[in-house]
Amino acid sequence: MMRFILADLRRLWAGATVVVLLVALATAVGVTVTLQERALRLGSARAADKFDLVIGAAGSETQLVLSSVFLQPAPLPLMSGDVLAKLSKDPRVAWVAPVGFGDSFAGYPLVGTTRSLISSTVSGFAEGGMFGREGEAVIGAAVKLPIGGEVKPMHGTAATGGETHAGVAYRITGRLLPTGTPWDRAILVPIQAVWHVHGLGHEHGEEEEHDGEAAREITPAAAATDEHGHSLFEAAREHGHDHGHARETAVAAGQGAHGEENPDHHGIDPDAPVVEDFAADAPGLPAVLVKPKTIADAYKLRQEYRNGNTLAVFPGEVLTNLYGTLGDAKLVLGAVAAGSQGLVAAALVLVTVTHIGQRRRQIGALRAFGAPRSSVFAIVWLELFLLIALGIGLGFLIGLFAAQMIGNVFTDQSGIVLPVGFTDEDLKSAILLLATSAVLAAIPAVLAYRQPPAAALRA
Amino acid sequence: MLSLRIEDLAKSFPGLGGPVLEIASLAIAPGSRVTVTGGSGSGKSTFVNVITGLERATSGKLVWNGDDISRFSESARDRWRARHIGLVMQDFHLFPGLSAFENILLPARLARVADAVTIGRARELLATVGLPRPDQRIETMSRGEMQRVAIARALLRKPGVIVADEPTASLDAEAGEAVGRLLLDLAEQAGTTLIVVSHDQRLINRLDRRLTFQAGRIVSDSVSDEVAA
Repeated sequence: MMRFILADLRRLWAGATVVVLLVALATAVGVTVTLQERALRLGSARAADKFDLVIGAAGSETQLVLSSVFLQPAPLPLMSGDVLAKLSKDPRVAWVAPVGFGDSFAGYPLVGTTRSLISSTVSGFAEGGMFGREGEAVIGAAVKLPIGGEVKPMHGTAATGGETHAGVAYRITGRLLPTGTPWDRAILVPIQAVWHVHGLGHEHGEEEEHDGEAAREITPAAAATDEHGHSLFEAAREHGHDHGHARETAVAAGQGAHGEENPDHHGIDPDAPVVEDFAADAPGLPAVLVKPKTIADAYKLRQEYRNGNTLAVFPGEVLTNLYGTLGDAKLVLGAVAAGSQGLVAAALVLVTVTHIGQRRRQIGALRAFGAPRSSVFAIVWLELFLLIALGIGLGFLIGLFAAQMIGNVFTDQSGIVLPVGFTDEDLKSAILLLATSAVLAAIPAVLAYRQPPAAALRA
Repeated sequence: MLSLRIEDLAKSFPGLGGPVLEIASLAIAPGSRVTVTGGSGSGKSTFVNVITGLERATSGKLVWNGDDISRFSESARDRWRARHIGLVMQDFHLFPGLSAFENILLPARLARVADAVTIGRARELLATVGLPRPDQRIETMSRGEMQRVAIARALLRKPGVIVADEPTASLDAEAGEAVGRLLLDLAEQAGTTLIVVSHDQRLINRLDRRLTFQAGRIVSDSVSDEVAA
């Protein structure tokens, strides 16, 4: 029987190929959507895994997580620096690390943070070591810059019209091991350097007092209105400007012409030691990442810092809400994929039924020469089912390949590694698809089974 | 070999005024060699379809060696036909993509009766019908060769009856003569009842008995002149 079926398929190879490709493409659409959505969920969950609690100024929970955990360039309101000092002394906190962002270099985001955060979230260095001075930086595993290389930070990004901080340069001291998170694409510098570059917390005394005041008084609305992606620290400086502290804080974001020395830009002392003992008058911050000692502490801290001025979130919880939205999108895409599969299935049945009509004489002859009806049914059913099954198998492979390609592009752009792969759920989907195909293939087979041989021979 | 007995047989189709085939009585002895003739639309093909079980008689009895196949279900008729009837048709109905050998064995394989003995017989039959290349694809053969394959296929399961519907009509004179002779010789060797629908006078003349159909009825039942002589 198989020889007959294979001979038949060889003879009708063009039509058979079209059927297989149609089924494969329709299947691949659904598989790609499923794999991609799942990989995005898993990848983002893994990326947020090491960040238990994020605290920032009151505003959007989602944006706080996207900016601090996923390093998405977007304006965040600043919260008062004393939050950091308070958390540093809190016995329920294992470690707390400020994060400051808004600058970039060569397309990589610059993140100001602490050595404790790096040590706690990354398993080690691929080469080199930790920064120890204000003018040093470590880079994520995916940053294509050399150890010892120079990093000249730029406000915002080149795409958003950013400008280079004149006279500021970091030297790369180490490359971190990969984490599969957006931090692999980040350049990490001491938070104090970020503050100093932006004219915050530069000197103790009068200037710092003004800066601290500006930071503490900044409102979410003021910070969120920046159009150039500079707001993280610009907002604080803008605010200082309004209060007449222009000289000390050198605010007015974007007012300096590109390529010219910008009065907004402050220098750093590259050889100054990194100090991570944060006082109550620390400058304003977009976010701090907190590692509570226990789960109970995590919940208490979250409750305590959801007080109107600050916002405390579990990234996992925020992601769950995002997954809900993703789930809706998946539902729509899944419906589109299912619709296309349904159309292909209907087209296939139509084509096959027509094909059976054209093969009536062959079917009649098989019966006339002694083939049992069950064999005729089996031939027609198996022939179509083989084509569809082949298409489904091919579709799963194409879907996997497409999802991996999309995942690779996404990883290149975001740093988040998407774990694309099949699970038991996909096996169940494949079995369901095959079962449906088996039923569909039975339609023309039943028609062939019911065809009287004499009538078929007369056709 | 099988004998056939028909009583009050009629075959009608919906939408037609009367039966397209009506036979009050007919008997064919086992081992007979009968030719069926008649003009187009005279009922020859319907007769072949009914006696081979491809179609069910509307009424009457159609008894092959005691089995009234007009009472059989469609599946039972399929099984009976596979076991007892060897069919040879004008259009060969061979399957492209398969070799001559595979074509001969296909019905037996589909009926799951192609054991080693049957496979050996298929090879013997190929040699008997004069085809030296069993693995030759069917679509590369001449029409005469194709009909030889069809005859070998019909004989594979040692049927009690061979029914041939215009076996030489699509062949040239030389190939038709050879195929006709082969059919008669093999039927004689096997002692099989042979019923041939044909317009080929040379073939008709070599058969024992001649049934002539007209408007669905047998209008003449005669012994061949050659045989009578």
